[in-house]
Amino acid sequence: MRRLFYLLLGGLVLYGAYWFAAHRLFDEGSYRKQVAFGSVFVPYGWAYALGFLLGLVLLLLLYSLLHTAVANRLQGRRRSPWPLFLQGLTHLFLWVLILLVYYPVVQVVAASFDPTNNLFSFRRPETGFLLLDAKVIPYLPRPSLENYAALVQGVVLYPYQVGLLLLAGLALVGVALIGLLRRLLPEEDWMDLWQGRLLLLLTLAVFALALLLSPRQFTGQGTEAKFLLWVRNTFLISGLTGLLAVLLTATAGYAFARFRHLPGRYPMLLFFIFVQMFPGFLALVAIYYLLSRLDLLNTFTGLVLAYSGGIISFGTWVYKGYLESISPSLEEAAMVDGATKWQVFTKILLPLSAPMFVFIFLLQFVGTYSEFVLANLVLTGVESWNVGVGLRSFTTGQFQTKWGIFAAASVLGSLPILFLFYGFQQYFVSGYTAGAVKE
Amino acid sequence: MRKALAVLALGLSLALAQGKITVWTHFGGPELEWLKKQAQAFERTSGTKVEVVEVPFGDIKQKFILGAPQGQAADLVVSIPHDWLGEMAQAGVLEPMGKYVTQGYLADLQDVAIDAFTFGGKLFGLPAFAESVALIYNKKYVKEAPKTWEEFLALARQHTTGSTFGFLYNIGDPYFNFGFFKAFGAENVFPKDAKGNLDPSRLLLSGEAAERALTFIRDLRFRYNLVPEGVDYGVADGAFKDGALAMIINGPWALGDYKKAKIDFGIAPFPTPPGARAPWGPFLGVQGVVVNAYSKNKTAAVNFAKTLITGKNLVSFNQAGGRIPVSKSAAKTLEKDPVVAGFSRVFALGTPMPNIPEMGKVWGPWANAINLAIQRPDSNIKKIVEDMVAEIRKGIGR
Amino acid sequence: MRHPPGLKGFLLALALLLGLVLLAAGVGLLGFFTLEAYVALPGWTILVLALLVLVPGAVAVGRLFPWLSDWYYFLPALAFLLVFTLYPIGLTVYLAFTDYSGARNGFPDRSTETRVVGQEGARLRLEEPVKEALRCDPCVGEPVEVYAEGHRMRARILEAEGETLLLDRTPPFAAGFVAKVNAFRFVGLKNFAFILSQASQALLPVFAWNVVFAGSTVLLNALLGLVLGLVLNNRALKLRNFYRTVLIVSWALPGVITVQVWVALLNYNFGAINRLLGVLGVYPIPWLNDPDWAKVAILLVNLWLGFPYMMTATLGALSTIPDELYEAAKVDGATPWQALWGITLPLLEKPMVPILLSSFAFNFNNFYIIYLLTGGGPAQEGRLATAQATDILISWAYKTAFSAEGQSAYGLGAAISLLIFAITVAISLVNFRATGALREVR
Repeated sequence: MRRLFYLLLGGLVLYGAYWFAAHRLFDEGSYRKQVAFGSVFVPYGWAYALGFLLGLVLLLLLYSLLHTAVANRLQGRRRSPWPLFLQGLTHLFLWVLILLVYYPVVQVVAASFDPTNNLFSFRRPETGFLLLDAKVIPYLPRPSLENYAALVQGVVLYPYQVGLLLLAGLALVGVALIGLLRRLLPEEDWMDLWQGRLLLLLTLAVFALALLLSPRQFTGQGTEAKFLLWVRNTFLISGLTGLLAVLLTATAGYAFARFRHLPGRYPMLLFFIFVQMFPGFLALVAIYYLLSRLDLLNTFTGLVLAYSGGIISFGTWVYKGYLESISPSLEEAAMVDGATKWQVFTKILLPLSAPMFVFIFLLQFVGTYSEFVLANLVLTGVESWNVGVGLRSFTTGQFQTKWGIFAAASVLGSLPILFLFYGFQQYFVSGYTAGAVKE
Repeated sequence: MRKALAVLALGLSLALAQGKITVWTHFGGPELEWLKKQAQAFERTSGTKVEVVEVPFGDIKQKFILGAPQGQAADLVVSIPHDWLGEMAQAGVLEPMGKYVTQGYLADLQDVAIDAFTFGGKLFGLPAFAESVALIYNKKYVKEAPKTWEEFLALARQHTTGSTFGFLYNIGDPYFNFGFFKAFGAENVFPKDAKGNLDPSRLLLSGEAAERALTFIRDLRFRYNLVPEGVDYGVADGAFKDGALAMIINGPWALGDYKKAKIDFGIAPFPTPPGARAPWGPFLGVQGVVVNAYSKNKTAAVNFAKTLITGKNLVSFNQAGGRIPVSKSAAKTLEKDPVVAGFSRVFALGTPMPNIPEMGKVWGPWANAINLAIQRPDSNIKKIVEDMVAEIRKGIGR
Repeated sequence: MRHPPGLKGFLLALALLLGLVLLAAGVGLLGFFTLEAYVALPGWTILVLALLVLVPGAVAVGRLFPWLSDWYYFLPALAFLLVFTLYPIGLTVYLAFTDYSGARNGFPDRSTETRVVGQEGARLRLEEPVKEALRCDPCVGEPVEVYAEGHRMRARILEAEGETLLLDRTPPFAAGFVAKVNAFRFVGLKNFAFILSQASQALLPVFAWNVVFAGSTVLLNALLGLVLGLVLNNRALKLRNFYRTVLIVSWALPGVITVQVWVALLNYNFGAINRLLGVLGVYPIPWLNDPDWAKVAILLVNLWLGFPYMMTATLGALSTIPDELYEAAKVDGATPWQALWGITLPLLEKPMVPILLSSFAFNFNNFYIIYLLTGGGPAQEGRLATAQATDILISWAYKTAFSAEGQSAYGLGAAISLLIFAITVAISLVNFRATGALREVR
């Protein structure tokens, strides 16, 4: 019965999709048979592509048949070729998917090395190679770092800042090396220890650099020359927001998880949950007046405080869930020995909670990294922008489209988050799933 | 003795005029440099520190209206387009300039510019430069500007090939399209009442004029096959810079880039569209400097504004970015400049954009209507116009 | 001393805590205004003063009521919530019932500024006739601002005749100018009535698309995530950790940046996607220019952004299924297909349902993808300029209050925010009911 219901529902959805495609997407008004200017059109190109894929599949089939036949002959066993073929098909599918997923990434990275803005130009390259001429494969007649140079133009670094930068770079290399070693060698204790230390060093060096840089060191002309300043601002803003999130949520999460005896804990919890459902940034005007009253407009502190409202509930919830998954027996034993609740919290639970704090910090850091609505309201003037507002200005500037610069800035601006994500992948995965399951 | 007095006076004024003013600007590149130089010069003569803050054009109005009463906005904005004037003046954030400037000072500014910055009978800013769109053509493809629609169409079709375009422009934006509405009978957005003030209770962008204009714009895409889908400002501008476009509708702000791209261009009015009643005529926009009504240092702000808007400084401004000054003396100096001369001819055909606050309720629905009309070849123009008029009416009535 | 039990205890604790916070805020404000008379202070002194009261106050109250100390663990979070979340929410709720907007912002309209030429107590004579100068008819009851260099005062008009007007208060200084105030008023439910009166042009289609958008996004992402999760969970697959790491790239990149990149890629003429399609023999698709295609574009981009999360979640859920089950099934002679339908999918349901529901709630208010990818556009026939083809509720509210099309209609925007709040709460209640999350907590 239930299955029938699902089947019916699925059929309905499919029919709806079909109707939408036939009557709305591919009707004459929406889909016109007209080749775009400057693009290469190959009639029945899809047939060639499909043929190519089919060829690959046939090759796979051939390979698995032959391989199994040879192996069977050599080892005198009788194995079916189909698992091998299936495995091959899976790899093919995954590689096609990877190609699709990475296609935008490749295009942007290519555009960032292209000073001629080829992607957004009408000139058609004439190389004789179809995919290049169609710009399906990025055409880079003369790759250069010009776009990146425009972003760092006029940036003056003091020697000790260069030193910090080198230190951060070395730490990064170290972390990457250890990560590589972990793949190659059997796991050893020192790897974990040193990876942790190097990561700490890296973080400290980067934040020290962010603190020590001043807007005066960015002397370049043009808005884009302030890009690194935006990155520095963002590190300060998002870093502080992350720290504040941890500070505010730790005690509340502890109380929710452990003080089950408190009357009114449940309504309090409901309050925490439901208050975060208000679409926070729509209260822009109110936040504006509040910050203006406190003389904190156009300051990073003000922006951090404005962000702080939106993070408390989720962080508290996640941390509460985490503590509940830890058995309270250790704490109870300590209590019997006469420890106070505060001692239990600081001495026993805080050290245990490091991974969760890292997750809450990262979540906040990543979440506010390229935020632009509140930031644009609070921060005025190119020098105080964060990455989000700055990048937005490249695409919406009254009458400007600097795609090459935008691509370069996107690549550079994504790197810190990409690094954080892959560096702390396990925290993200466990934290997200823990939080989501509980939510 | 006199010298000593003068020095004393200068010293005194320096000591008195201590303080700082903040300027918001959307200028970039050489124009920003020009402004910073002016600010330094002003600092030297008056002793007031001037801080120039870059704020994107699109953010200025809202930030200023929200921030000024809270003491959180700049003392001075360089510059705002005059169609924001009514809204900003009504919100109370602009200082009336009447008491700061003399008739003699104003005499050097063109009347149309003064009118643009006058709202409710009061002058709310000092106009600096004028702009409008015009037909800009690449002389590589178009030797002489087309005089008639037939010539234009022939030229545009001739150059619409696989690798070049005949004619493109920012087709979805009402500002770029007003010329067609005017040609088909909508002289302005609102009519003038007996006293010569704009009357927002009646709308000229309606009925047959609007329908015919929208039909013509739609025809540009679907009948004449000139402006394909996906063309916005960036695409058209990029194509012209690439040298792949023969004709574009654009304004003086873009010319710096065209010169940099070494395009040999000419400026002309768009020819009268087929079946139109009147010649094409664009919106005439004036940008000017305004002073914050809540500024703590109004005198200094006004003084700085006045030093910016002088014949001499506007000429140097024109040399920095190519904008067209509204100062009569500057215009005279620049008479020979082909850009100034070309746009002056276009300005003569233009209609000043309304500066009353109700104009703010028009742009959104108007743009919506144009985009709807060009979405499909069979768009229901009559209904689109009706919906647009209803939404604007409702907006103004609220 | 033990904690007083039950509701009474809770209310008492809450009252004490709130009292503390309010006392601190009050002292901060008062102290600030007193000090301000002597020295120029930045506004955040209020916060510092409040903190100076709050900390010793908390200690003192803690001495008096030792049982309260447990509640102090909530205090930092609670104080921040009160100031930076609850206060803005309260103000927004208030604004939703007013006609507050850019043009009605409670400040004087300088275009009505008129010089005062004579003054007798509260009776002022203006340069021009009152009705024309202040553009009001009738002028009685209109709020005005009277000012001169260094002074300003608000008053109401009691009488207006010819060039003279009588105010309800006497300015304590020599009046220089009068201007009408753009007062905003309490309008009751008018904003909501306006929303409902235009429901067919905005609310209904926007809400419908909002639900379809969030639902299809979850469905599509979950399907791809499920397939990938199942494929990558296969231990026999070589390189599966590599695939896992490589495929989450779109989750690891900042979405605000990648969505803007997609705008470039989906451009009709230049976009890499249409170029690719051209080579495949497909005519260019108006991804961002056609009301229907724009919806498809949004779903596809959101799929690109969101499937890694679903994939990871599926893998996490799959890892909780014990291997013994499969082995037992194998012994019983079940085919892999039967194992999938009989074991994997039913067991996935429990951990996946809350993930799907929270993902639905998240996407329901996913402002960034809509705003950055299409800006709510393109235009659609019969819709308001602020509520176009791909607008969802939250982008509609944002455009109404904060963008050029909406003309800073803050009151109306606030009313829409309240609607969104109500809907979000409703969805979450369903969510909690389905997952039993709250019961478990209780």
